[in-house]
Amino acid sequence: MRDIASQRSLDHTLIALADPTRRAILQRLSEGEARVTELAQPFAMSLNAVSKHIRILERARLVRRRRAGREHRLSFNQGPLDAAAAWIEARRALWTARLDALDALLCAEDCAASTAPDKVSTGQTKKKGRSR
Amino acid sequence: MTVEPPIHLRVTRRFSASPERVFDAFLDPAKARQFMFATASGQMVRVEIDARVGGSYNFTDRRDGEDAEHTGEYLEIDRPRRLMFTLRQGSDVSRVIIEIVPLGTGCELTLTHEINAEWAEYAGRTKEGWTGILDGLAATLG
Repeated sequence: MRDIASQRSLDHTLIALADPTRRAILQRLSEGEARVTELAQPFAMSLNAVSKHIRILERARLVRRRRAGREHRLSFNQGPLDAAAAWIEARRALWTARLDALDALLCAEDCAASTAPDKVSTGQTKKKGRSR
Repeated sequence: MTVEPPIHLRVTRRFSASPERVFDAFLDPAKARQFMFATASGQMVRVEIDARVGGSYNFTDRRDGEDAEHTGEYLEIDRPRRLMFTLRQGSDVSRVIIEIVPLGTGCELTLTHEINAEWAEYAGRTKEGWTGILDGLAATLG
């Protein structure tokens, strides 16, 4: 059945990705570890505002934090992105399978219909059918 | 305010059958039970379709003694072009839009699943659609 925990973590991932600043932060971190101050530099916003974005990324486990002495080093974690992509791909596969099944169903009807008129067209076959 | 739903999951498929036949299959309980929410290991124990705008549907699939209910409401029924309904699974409500265009003697169907309305409030804050982000994501992940 539905896994609430994984659903929640998917929510966090998608919420985290829903903001251009956060995506830019992830982009930067995918190139390598960085300090919070380094991450904040390219953005025209306060360190506090950037920290808020980082917290949302950490909640989604897209960003990891480690302490090196007095410094906080941040790094990118790919795992939640893989999980989100896999979830979406599974949904897509589900609908594709359903539409395949619909096509098979309609084709089966066509086959049944295309054999039936053949029998009807030859009067004998039709009579045979009736005599049963 | 118009809120853009977060994920537009889109699947396109061609059918040799006419738009009418494809469209009707979604609202015909005898046909829909065979392809809509059926699973290989499950047994469809309940199929109810009230095929009118505002009408609801219920597909119940029994798997290992547990019932999986797929319910929702029809929002738009424009035969044979467009069918729109909600899809409720547990606490999630999403929306499915089916669009059918004639193609030769058959048709082409595009199904759009707008996933998870509770994400909508967040999606409204981003200018880029989710599709682009997630397609890019999928491409990155290969």
